[in-house]
Amino acid sequence: MSHLKYIAQRVALMLLTLFIISLMCFILIRMLPPVPLPAGDPHTAVIEAKREALGYNKPYLVQFGIFLKGVLTRFDWGVSDKLYPGQEVAAIFFEKLPATMIVNLFSIILSIPIGISLGIFAALKKNTWIDHVISTVTMVAISVPSFVYAFLVQYFLAFKLGWFPFLFGSTIDGTPLGSISYFDPQFLWSMLPPILALSFGVIAGFTRTTRAELTEVLTSEFMLLARTKGLTKTQATVRHAMKNCMVVVLPSIFGEFIGILSGSLIIENIFSVPGVGELYLNSINGRDYPMFIMLTVFYTVIGLAAGIVVDISYGFIDPRIRVGSKK
Amino acid sequence: MKRKLTVALVLLLVCVMMLPMIASCSSCNRGGGDDGTGTTTGGGDQPDQPTYERVYFDPSKSYVFKDAVITLPVNWNPHTYETNDDAYPADFLRVGLYGFVFNDALHPSTVEGVDAYKGYTIIPEMAADFPEDVTEAVKALENNKYGIPESATSGYAYKIKLNENAKWEDGTKINADTYIYSMKMLLDAKYLNYRATDYYAGSFSIAGAENYANAGQTKLKDNGAGEKVDRDAMKKEADGTYTYKGSPVYIGLNFALKHLSGDTLKAYVDAYGAAYFDVTNWATLIAKADADGLIPLTDENYELFAPVVTGNPAWNETAKDVPEYYVIKKSYPADVDFDKTVGLYKTGEYEITLVLAKSLKDFYLLYNLTGNWIVKQDLYEANLKQDETSKAWSSTYNTSVETTSSYGPYKLVDYTKDSSMRFVRNENWYGYTDGKHTYVDPEDNKEYDMYMTTEITTQKVKEASTRKEMFLKGQLMGYGLQAEDFEQYRSSDYCYFTPSETIFFFIFNGHLNAIKEREANEGFDKSKFDLETMTLTSFRKAVAVTYDKEALCTAVNPSRSGGYGIIGNNYIYDPETGAKYRDTDYAKQALCDFYSVDVSKFESLDEAVKSITGYDPVKAKELYNQAFKEALEKGYITSKDGKTSDQTIEITYAASTAPNDFMNKLLAYLNEKMAEVTKGTAFEGKIVFKFSSPLGDAWSDNIKNGMADTVLGGWSGSALDPYGLTDLYCNPGYAYDAGWFDANKVDITIKIDGKDLTMTMYQWSDALNGTTVTVGGKEYNFGYGQADTPTRLLILSKIEATIMSTYDYIPMIQDAGASLLSKQVYYVVEEYSSVMGRGGIAYMKYNYDETEWKAYVAEQKDGTLSY
Repeated sequence: MSHLKYIAQRVALMLLTLFIISLMCFILIRMLPPVPLPAGDPHTAVIEAKREALGYNKPYLVQFGIFLKGVLTRFDWGVSDKLYPGQEVAAIFFEKLPATMIVNLFSIILSIPIGISLGIFAALKKNTWIDHVISTVTMVAISVPSFVYAFLVQYFLAFKLGWFPFLFGSTIDGTPLGSISYFDPQFLWSMLPPILALSFGVIAGFTRTTRAELTEVLTSEFMLLARTKGLTKTQATVRHAMKNCMVVVLPSIFGEFIGILSGSLIIENIFSVPGVGELYLNSINGRDYPMFIMLTVFYTVIGLAAGIVVDISYGFIDPRIRVGSKK
Repeated sequence: MKRKLTVALVLLLVCVMMLPMIASCSSCNRGGGDDGTGTTTGGGDQPDQPTYERVYFDPSKSYVFKDAVITLPVNWNPHTYETNDDAYPADFLRVGLYGFVFNDALHPSTVEGVDAYKGYTIIPEMAADFPEDVTEAVKALENNKYGIPESATSGYAYKIKLNENAKWEDGTKINADTYIYSMKMLLDAKYLNYRATDYYAGSFSIAGAENYANAGQTKLKDNGAGEKVDRDAMKKEADGTYTYKGSPVYIGLNFALKHLSGDTLKAYVDAYGAAYFDVTNWATLIAKADADGLIPLTDENYELFAPVVTGNPAWNETAKDVPEYYVIKKSYPADVDFDKTVGLYKTGEYEITLVLAKSLKDFYLLYNLTGNWIVKQDLYEANLKQDETSKAWSSTYNTSVETTSSYGPYKLVDYTKDSSMRFVRNENWYGYTDGKHTYVDPEDNKEYDMYMTTEITTQKVKEASTRKEMFLKGQLMGYGLQAEDFEQYRSSDYCYFTPSETIFFFIFNGHLNAIKEREANEGFDKSKFDLETMTLTSFRKAVAVTYDKEALCTAVNPSRSGGYGIIGNNYIYDPETGAKYRDTDYAKQALCDFYSVDVSKFESLDEAVKSITGYDPVKAKELYNQAFKEALEKGYITSKDGKTSDQTIEITYAASTAPNDFMNKLLAYLNEKMAEVTKGTAFEGKIVFKFSSPLGDAWSDNIKNGMADTVLGGWSGSALDPYGLTDLYCNPGYAYDAGWFDANKVDITIKIDGKDLTMTMYQWSDALNGTTVTVGGKEYNFGYGQADTPTRLLILSKIEATIMSTYDYIPMIQDAGASLLSKQVYYVVEEYSSVMGRGGIAYMKYNYDETEWKAYVAEQKDGTLSY
């Protein structure tokens, strides 16, 4: 019961935080000076009239009230006025989100088993040449930015070897496949280069985390106790060490899944993935208010919800952890 | 039986499709070609026109134009699109009432003596014929309801017959109603369409369009951006306020003005106060300002205001400049009936009449009608949406395949937002069968259809490295060379250089007051550095001849070439002939005068111009030493030994971003060559260029305010209007040197009709661009159609020479781009034309169809092409 109460409290707090963040962002973005319009250009008058018609000259709180009313009563997030003029921002976002999600999702699906396996292997072979090789490669892989992998993947796999297309959603001979179809084998093939480019860093991250945690757990006293009770090394590792190690690894997996939604600006640019990676930045630069506030609210909700989920997950992974308890 | 019926139907269909071809080709005798083409002899139906062997492209073959863009279009609605990126599909999906084609035997130039493919001609496209001037007849309508000037007999109203074969891609006919409906929607005040002003605010202005588009609204119009009306032309009302054409006039105190480059006067006064303005009355004036930052123009307010901008010599303005601060509040009538007031109406099922508010004739009329505004009514209305709260309208017309209908040579069949788009031939386009869209290939003298391309795929590819790799794999038709590619590809047979209008010049700081202010700052060490010397003409002249412009281009961007005048090589002074300003004797003489070339020592003016390099290290050394003496005399610098400057002249380059490769190369070159040239002079090792911190968009303000000393900047305008460029150097709203140069105070004397005429540079510029200027009680107007071309060229060259003689602008680089063209295709016309380019998709021919191309690429080593 106290667990449910805790969740309810967190959700209430989340809604309050969401409201405050949204209000702050709403007002702050509108306080930025608008993109300067050329004086004397006849189009300037049209844009100014449009701003007036859209209510951008009303007091900020009035604008926020209108925005809230639209969202709460009609789920109307407004119409993009700069990046995609005339089109509904929510529709654009949800049209572009799947491309980002699917690339990131596949990357994580590929990265988790590889990363964790390498981490376990390195931990089990601690201080051997295998561990040193894995640890060194991991450090290098973490240090190199993902766009470097992107260019390398594109150069070797698409240009030199010709195994993959250069761009997301095209064939090996460069023909665009047209409308997105994630079940088309050609489409899946075209997604592999960005997936690979994204995966190197993620694999390295999981490897390092898993190795570090497992190394620590393997040297714990309870592991010694387990071995003295007659468990084999494998049994002790799988039954006890892995479970304890997951207390740290699992939340990082959650974190990666949340990152699925945000996309990577650089990777999406290099492989022309029609995702949401550059939407946020462009909406700020272009002062596309409806787009910006919709993205802000969405990612704030995701971030706050993820925080709650991660916190609660600790309790499920390790029953000794009790969130919200004062005792 | 069914099979026979199908065959018969196919044969019938082929016959029907061939009918128009047969009709346009009087003596067709088709034969087959073994190169994938069919040939026939014959020609046009004009008896005196030579005939050419006709070659048809094999319809079974696929020719795909594979393009890449950095930004994929998101909104190509002709009423609302805003950017060039969004205009990308227009060439494929739309056709204007009139269109440009190269002049060839089938489309001879209207100007005599122009060689084939050296010029162009205009043909009716969505129109059936050229416009018929009906000014007199329209003027007689309902008491001249469109307000055509009484004295006008032509140039205001035109009857245009429409092409009856024009259809939307689904076969729906396009007729006069389509044009009227579309214009009505475009101009409708409630939709606030971005493109509406294109039809009333510029030189192409439809009668009554402005009132209809702004019905019921009140607009504040910046007088300085428009007519620049003075009080003399206004009416003084009983309450003491001034009105112009019934609209009240105000003074803009806290109102963004073009005269101030979009800033407000209040911002300037707040920033500089008494240093630049007479602020005695400022507080009183500001207290009177309304919410828009305006005060009514009355005699009393004028007397309070005028001293603010004219009372301090540092601001450098006179009573003549005061109208630049006026703002006219124009209220438009609420109930405006499109059908009764707007100058576009139907005069037949396939005929419209166009009435203009400003006269336009000949080339400029047709040029303005090369665009089109029509929309497909059912789709357009289905995609209009009104916001429930704000009541503002928005449209999703032309943002996807479903919301797009073509009436051009191609139609959109695939569109993935921010990824790719695909066009295929629009078989309902009249141009494929009207017999007008053919050309004679200068290589083989055979007649071909335009638009050989059967499909266009366009992908968003942001990274240049990806574009290059795709190009080398045969997946793109072109690749724009980057700086690092020049060494390898500049001499390739497939490398094309495309000149641009822009000349990049060094803007050189001459703002002595601002420089003194900077030197007075605490952080400035006057014992080590000096800025004032750079305002000396001798110093500026020295800098102008310090750099070899061609060598500079080689060092920083080899696709470009040296720039010598401030008007680029690509500007056409006569749109009828395509003749370029830089090729005229006037322009050549201006350069020779500026660079002190003695023409008499050369065989011709051309030879004299060719000798100009703009680089004279010997002269530069002399000038630096002369500048040293002058600077010493003026106390700008000191010299302990009397031979060399104690101070370093530190020239700050206004960097908009953190230094990139181009900027670093530029700065390195500037400093290296400066060190070379100043060796042995009083400034040896004492002139240094350095970057400012990144200034973003504020770089231009820093230059204008004298807070930075130089930048490589430039202007580009319409390639067909070099005359319009003069305003950029006279109008303080644009001029980078407005802080220390006043075009109102520089007199130029030019011999006009055998008599010397003296006007200020600003007046010459205005008169050249169509404004009537009064000098000595006599009116002058040297605008298009008002003065002969030689006179206009002479004025332009004199203004150019005067601008250069200020050394505020030192021409350095003629802009150009270079790109590789795929081996799969070739240009019928290789020489670049400002108007036609290289003919675009219409004139592109293929060496290989898709199957052949893939096989060819596969044959190459590693499947990678070599250029």
